[in-house]
Amino acid sequence: MTAAGGLEKSYRRLLRWYPALYRHRHEEEILGVLMSAARPGQRRPGARESADLVWSALKIRIRMAARRADSRPWAAALALTAMLLPLLMVLLKLTLFLDRGVQYGFGSPADLLIGAYGEPGSFARSFQLNSYSIAFTGNVTDALTAGPVPALALAAFVCLGWRRAAAIFAAFVPLAFLAISLTSGYTLVAAPRVDVTLYAYGLEALVLLIAPSTPRGWHALRWRPSALLAAATVAAAIGMNGGLRSLLPARPVNPAALRLPRDPRLFRDYLARIPHGFIDRLFGIGAGGWGDWLLYQGTLVAVIIVALTIMLVSSPVNRRVLYVPGIPFALGAVIYLCSLTSPPLPGAAGNALTAIPVLLILLAAMAFVLANSRPADPDSPSHPAAPQG
Amino acid sequence: MSERPLHEPTFLMLTALAKGPQHGYGIITDVEHISGGRVRLRAGTLYAALDRVVAEGLVEADRDEVVDGRLRRYYRLTQRGDDRLAAEVARIQHNAAVAAGRLEVRRRAFGGLA
Repeated sequence: MTAAGGLEKSYRRLLRWYPALYRHRHEEEILGVLMSAARPGQRRPGARESADLVWSALKIRIRMAARRADSRPWAAALALTAMLLPLLMVLLKLTLFLDRGVQYGFGSPADLLIGAYGEPGSFARSFQLNSYSIAFTGNVTDALTAGPVPALALAAFVCLGWRRAAAIFAAFVPLAFLAISLTSGYTLVAAPRVDVTLYAYGLEALVLLIAPSTPRGWHALRWRPSALLAAATVAAAIGMNGGLRSLLPARPVNPAALRLPRDPRLFRDYLARIPHGFIDRLFGIGAGGWGDWLLYQGTLVAVIIVALTIMLVSSPVNRRVLYVPGIPFALGAVIYLCSLTSPPLPGAAGNALTAIPVLLILLAAMAFVLANSRPADPDSPSHPAAPQG
Repeated sequence: MSERPLHEPTFLMLTALAKGPQHGYGIITDVEHISGGRVRLRAGTLYAALDRVVAEGLVEADRDEVVDGRLRRYYRLTQRGDDRLAAEVARIQHNAAVAAGRLEVRRRAFGGLA
């Protein structure tokens, strides 16, 4: 193969980061520019050039999703949500991994696979402490919900634009989790984090199926509000998992150390001296610790951060985006608050309560598929092309 | 609508198109020329910027040509793009004139001390 042929192939691979519709209109054109700008004899795309293409492709993706929603706010909001929800889940895993890992060690790849962040040796221990079948089912369900792999896979499917594969996968995760755990006597209601994940996956399947992906013209841009929304989502995800906690050292409580220093120059030392136990007591949280407080109560704070951002940038699309991802977190928060005030309901009843919302969401998705035997396809040529200009 | 200042790459791109319709690579080389070699747009950045100005109605596609088997799409400035660039030029000229005037006064005042 000639150098130019190899280079063109590499460029085409990079251009796959762009949305299909955009590629359809501009791929040959951009490729022409890239090949004209290439040095004689160049074989591979430069690192900066590649990064620039990927970054620009992501910008165009978000813009197109935002534009779609402009003429039909709900359609746009759903399209944006379908992209944001998996990214949010990846961020949750990542911040939890970094936060716990930095404090307590990262563990083996198997520990990572089951999402036992900061609990090195959990995977091996589960087999020592339990019978093989119990340890196995436990690890499989953990890998499905707490582990990072399903979230990463879903985000990859969505970013690649494989809508149907993403929808099927998003429905498969909570269903597999429910099937395995309900037949093995796992008590769902005791694990609020699991609930949020299950609802988020179910909802993603529903959103992917009902979001009409036909572009609706090149209207006014909503790039700025979308960027703010994405930034707020990142901030919320980090806050939710106590990602900032690892910045403070863990020290035993010493009440004398908590008195405010007179000298303002010592204030930074003072902040570093605050032990986690202090925050726990301040908010009346028991054994869970600050991390768990942020994880569970923090979901509410995170939802509020995103809500405020959406109100600040106040686009009809962004406001609607708030409603949809709010559902899993609201459901998770309600279940968590219920579990604070009363002991978890005994096995079967608790399981049913947790599983019902997931099943309802998935049933709605199934009803939609049956009602629309031909779901909207972003690349289908049957849709009229959006007007230019 | 309150108009925000144009980013430099966008400004240079509109300036390039003010000469007449140009294709993507033509814009890149022209922008490099206008900026004295300081700004070399990358293809991704150029098309992200084009996408934005086309959506804002400042620029539109002019015609397609095929040269050496490669598609070249030409873009041209719209009347709206013309107005926007003119407003931007007026803004920059005003700011530059004020800055130049003040620098002159300042140099005259401090000139004796230097």
